[in-house]
Amino acid sequence: MKTTRLAQLASLAVVGSMALAACGSDNTTGSTSAEGSSSSASASESAATECFSGTLNAEGSSAQKNAIEEAIASYGEACKDAKLNYNPTGSGAGIKQFIAGQVDFAGSDSALKTEGKDGAQSEAVAAEAFCGSPAWNLPMVTGPIAIAFNVKGVDKLTITPAVAADIFSGKITTWNDAKIAEINKGVTLPATAIKVFFRSDESGTTENFTKYLKAAAPEGWTADASKKWTGAGEGKEKSAGVAEGVKSTDGGVTYVEWSYAKDNKLGIASVDNGAGAVELTGESVGKAVAVAEQAGTGNDLALKLDYATKEAGAYPIILVTYEIVCSKNKDAEKGKNIKAFLKHFASTDVQKGLEEIGYAPLPKEVEDKVLTAIDALS
Amino acid sequence: MSTVTHVGEESTRAKAVTLPDMGGKSSGRAIKDQAARIVMWSAFVIACVPLVWILVSTLLKGGHMLASVDWWTLSQNGITARREGGGAAHAIQGTLIQGAVTALMSVPIGVLTAIYLVEYGRGRFAKAVSFMVDILTGVPSIVAALFIYALWVTTFGFQRVPFAVTLALVLLMIPTIVRSTEEMLKLVPNELREASYALGVPKWKTIVSIVLPTAFSGIVTGVLLGLARVMGETAPLIILGPYTKSMASNLFDGLMGTLPTMINQDRTEALQPAVDRVWGAALTLILIVFVLNLLGRFLGRFSKVS
Repeated sequence: MKTTRLAQLASLAVVGSMALAACGSDNTTGSTSAEGSSSSASASESAATECFSGTLNAEGSSAQKNAIEEAIASYGEACKDAKLNYNPTGSGAGIKQFIAGQVDFAGSDSALKTEGKDGAQSEAVAAEAFCGSPAWNLPMVTGPIAIAFNVKGVDKLTITPAVAADIFSGKITTWNDAKIAEINKGVTLPATAIKVFFRSDESGTTENFTKYLKAAAPEGWTADASKKWTGAGEGKEKSAGVAEGVKSTDGGVTYVEWSYAKDNKLGIASVDNGAGAVELTGESVGKAVAVAEQAGTGNDLALKLDYATKEAGAYPIILVTYEIVCSKNKDAEKGKNIKAFLKHFASTDVQKGLEEIGYAPLPKEVEDKVLTAIDALS
Repeated sequence: MSTVTHVGEESTRAKAVTLPDMGGKSSGRAIKDQAARIVMWSAFVIACVPLVWILVSTLLKGGHMLASVDWWTLSQNGITARREGGGAAHAIQGTLIQGAVTALMSVPIGVLTAIYLVEYGRGRFAKAVSFMVDILTGVPSIVAALFIYALWVTTFGFQRVPFAVTLALVLLMIPTIVRSTEEMLKLVPNELREASYALGVPKWKTIVSIVLPTAFSGIVTGVLLGLARVMGETAPLIILGPYTKSMASNLFDGLMGTLPTMINQDRTEALQPAVDRVWGAALTLILIVFVLNLLGRFLGRFSKVS
């Protein structure tokens, strides 16, 4: 009996020691494959990067996950002692955790709401109460939404908001419809049927795209903007699903984040909001961000996007995601660390690198404003 | 009289003669037997389909990740969804540490509760305890997680730390341990206890040196099965244990990565390196749970009571 008991104890000890034996290493730089590392990584050795040693935790929007991960990776390469974590739990969850003091800053697709629902405290007031100072919205990453298509023989296409509304609500059913032909003179359009793909899951992309349709083509698109698709077409799961649908279907069209349209080599329509066709480029997106009205005051850079903008050369279907921070952190050390990381994130090098992965860099004038605001953080 | 004897004789003879080839004579029963066999086997096969499907697809899609040494020794620090490389060491370590600490806390409470219920508990209080354990068994993991969140974060104002996760897991593990230990202790024959008493051994000593050792491997099996269950829990981790890509071993400060949260982090990603990692992490978790289960069954075979 004694011996078997010993054997049993020993096997328990084995399980226990598994926990201790699993001592791994954080040093991943030596073994990573070079493939896919962006230019931002190589540029990060510039002397401008201020380092800190410690941990920063952030949480929020999944739309900026890939962008902030890239920034964290390049920051980590320059500053070995800095540990940054970003959990893409969604904008709403990020703001809640920020107000509850669980994270150091939040990522959000929309600025803090200044009006509370049903007499409840608004997000902005709650955040200020937690911070003991106003909370600022800093626009950091811009994600354009592409109208991606796959029509044999057509590689350039222009779409107006009215036509987009008609296509996505199922009123226009073939690619050679007179309404499309009218704005695409010189392009031979086939009689292929239009096959709309939409996101079957609830999605911020759907919300932003329908916001755009509602704002820019109020007559053609009457439904309210929502996370759930209300138009015509066939539903597919996630961005990867709709992009794959269009890729494999002649006559397919969808709305999807720029990176997916690029990765799948889909046609990307130019958008004509009334001041001529605008191609989707980092620059044209930047222009739309630059002309956006500032809704916040001073260093609170909450933006009010104008989807119906008639500004020449501005691509209007965009999503701006913010970092939400306390303007004065109770813990001065934390404030300094946040400042150092955000400075890196907003720097030209990092922002340029984001274009490769489907985000648009901040335009110079906005970047300057953001950097000024970051300098004022403490 | 004679008829009765006759019937009796006949039935005895019938029993003696026909029993061996009963199947051959009554074909109705044979058909029923076959039908039941077919239904049972097809039910078994149907139940196995999802299991085999999951195992095969995780093996095919994640198997190659586990083949590299990096997977077991490196963290995801500095790796993005676009880049290949890195490993799951941080998540494996986190899962094992949290599992071990959870077991450390819940085993004493669970085993002692079971001893009380089997050896001492009589009357109203014991019934109440047993009833509470039943209720605790039925608590969904998300409720346990939210309870700890309300206590730890909202009431006490602490940060979300790995220790809070283990508290939620303890709530889930205790009832499993109490129930399995209880069963094992009940299986210990009363004669052993009586023999011990007859030699003048006090009750506590009987429990410590007769009852517990007899049921030991059964108890360990129950603990390992309970551990395997809580290691795969996801709800408490998502609510209380935010993910981190770097190595972490401090339970009271900062974040700790675990396999379920590692899966959750990249599950919406369409980029290949991230997809591979999600499958790899899923396979690793299955493997760990599988090994614990096997270990549990293996120890169960040494059980002196069953």
